[in-house]
Amino acid sequence: MKKRVTLIFPKRAVHMPVTYRLAKDFNVAANIIRAQVTPNQIGTLVVELSGDIDQLDAALEWMQSQDIGISIASREIMIDEEACVHCGLCTGVCPTEALSLDPQTFRLNFTRSRCVVCEQCIPTCPVQAISTNL
Amino acid sequence: MRSIAEINDKIQRQQAIVWTVEEVKARVQEMGVTQVAKQVDVITTGTFEPMESSGAILNIGHTDPPIKIRQCWLDGVPAYSGFGAVDLYLGATQMADYPIADGTDGEGSRERGGGHVIADLIAGKPVQLRAIGQVTDCYSRASFETTITRDTINQFYLFNPRNLYQNFIVGVNGGDRSLYTYLGPLQPHLGNAVYSNPGAISPLLNDPDLQLIGIGTRIFLGGGIGYVAWEGTQHFPLQKRLPNRTPIGPAATLALIGDAKQMNSRWVRGCYFRSYGSSLMLGVGVPLPVLSEEVVVHCAVRDQDLVAPIVDFSIPRRVRPTFGLVSYAQLKSGRITIDGKIVRVAPLASIYLSRQIAAELKDWIETGRFTLTEPVAQIPMDRSFLAQDRWGTQISLE
Repeated sequence: MKKRVTLIFPKRAVHMPVTYRLAKDFNVAANIIRAQVTPNQIGTLVVELSGDIDQLDAALEWMQSQDIGISIASREIMIDEEACVHCGLCTGVCPTEALSLDPQTFRLNFTRSRCVVCEQCIPTCPVQAISTNL
Repeated sequence: MRSIAEINDKIQRQQAIVWTVEEVKARVQEMGVTQVAKQVDVITTGTFEPMESSGAILNIGHTDPPIKIRQCWLDGVPAYSGFGAVDLYLGATQMADYPIADGTDGEGSRERGGGHVIADLIAGKPVQLRAIGQVTDCYSRASFETTITRDTINQFYLFNPRNLYQNFIVGVNGGDRSLYTYLGPLQPHLGNAVYSNPGAISPLLNDPDLQLIGIGTRIFLGGGIGYVAWEGTQHFPLQKRLPNRTPIGPAATLALIGDAKQMNSRWVRGCYFRSYGSSLMLGVGVPLPVLSEEVVVHCAVRDQDLVAPIVDFSIPRRVRPTFGLVSYAQLKSGRITIDGKIVRVAPLASIYLSRQIAAELKDWIETGRFTLTEPVAQIPMDRSFLAQDRWGTQISLE
C-alpha cells in the first residue's frame, strides 16, 4: 500500500539517512515529493511511502522513536469549482502537469496523485480559486 | 442570399437555423461552404477573457440634502466623479486606496480592485460607498456614506473602451528573473508561455474585416444584452494580415456598452494578477448573420490558419523583441518550440466558457429571445497606431 506523510526532522535527526534505513530495514520505498532540508535546522520532507502494510506501520513507529514528527494529514491543493473559470493559466506553472486542460473540452483537470503541493498555482490563479486545505 | 430583416423574421417565428462557429467549421469540412451557407442563418461566436479596459457607469441617485460628489470610493476603490453630481465611473483596474472594514485580511483587500467591485454589484452583493462633495448653493452636502446594491442605484451599465481584441500576443520571458505581467507570471529562461485569445472561436477573427460587425451591433455582454458602441481604443485595423485576412497580431478592438443590471455573475468575474493588478473577466458573444457565402468562408478559419507573435517581456520597451509567429493550433496543443526549446503554453482566455457563450447565444436566438441588428455605421478600417514617444521614434513598428 501507499501512504503520503509529512516528516518533520528535529535538528539532530537531519543527518540521519532516513530513506536508506526505510528501504534497508523495512523494505519501504520513499518517493520524495517535497523537501526542505538545511544543515542544523528543522527539516521537512513530504514523502509517499510504499510497501507492505505491516512494514509501513513498523517504519512509521521506528521514525517516531527517532523523534521524527509524522503528520498523515498532508497539505493538499483544493480547487473551488464555483470560482474556477477554466482559463488554464495555472497549467503553465504546474511543474508536474497535475493541473492540465482536457484537450477536447478545455476543462481544467486536477490529477491529485501527480501534485507535489509546490503551491505555485495558488498566486497564479486570477480568480483565487486555488487554495490549500491547511 | 438573405437579409437581416429576413433572418429576424425567422428568429421571431423560432425557425432560424443557428450554429455555433465551431459547428460551422466542422460542417464546412463535411459539406463545403456553399451547402453550409444555404442552410445556416446565424453563426454565434463567443469569448471569455480578461478585458481590463472595462468600466461601469453608475448613477447613485440624489441624497437629501443633495451632494455634488468630487471624490468617491466603492469598497475602498476610487471611482471617477468628474461628471454630473452623482454620476460615477468605476474602472476595472483601479486598485483599492484602503482596505474595507469587514474583517477581510490586508492581503485580500490589496488584491481587490474595480473589477471585483463591478462583479460584486452584478452578483447582487452590497458595496460600501463613501463620497466627499463640493459644497455649492445647489448641493449643500459635504460628505455621504451608504451601502448600495444594483437595485438601489439608477443606471448601472458597463461602458468598456477596449474589449474584444482581434487577436493578441503570446507572452514569454527570455530574461533571468520571474516577471509578473497582465498575462500572469512568466517564468525566466522561457519557462512558460501564455496566450490570451481563444483563436478560431474568437468573434473578430471570424469577421476579419468587420464587414458584419459595426456600431450598433447587438451582442451578448456579460450574460445580458449589449451593443457595439464605437471603435475600441488602440483600434489598429492596419495590422499586417494573412491572405485569409486575419491579423498577425493585435488589431481591431471595439468599445462595448450594456446594461449591467441584466448581467449574470457567471459571465462577469473580478480577477487579480499577482504583482500586476486587478482586472475584469468578461464573457462576450457576437452573432454573425450569414448574408453571403463569404461570411461562411471567413467563419471556416481554423486554429492552424491563425497566428500570433511570441513576445519577450524581459525587454521593458514599447516594441519588444519577438520570437516569430506561432499558430493557434500549436498554442492549443499546450507546447510550442522557441529557439529549439520546448515551452509549455497556457491560455488565459477560457476556451471552455467561450464555447458556452456561443452555445448560450445560439439558444437565445433559436428561442426568439435575441434578434439581430443592422450596424448603423461601419467601424473605420484605416486607423493607424500612434505612439507617445518621449525621445522620438527609435524603433518603428514595421
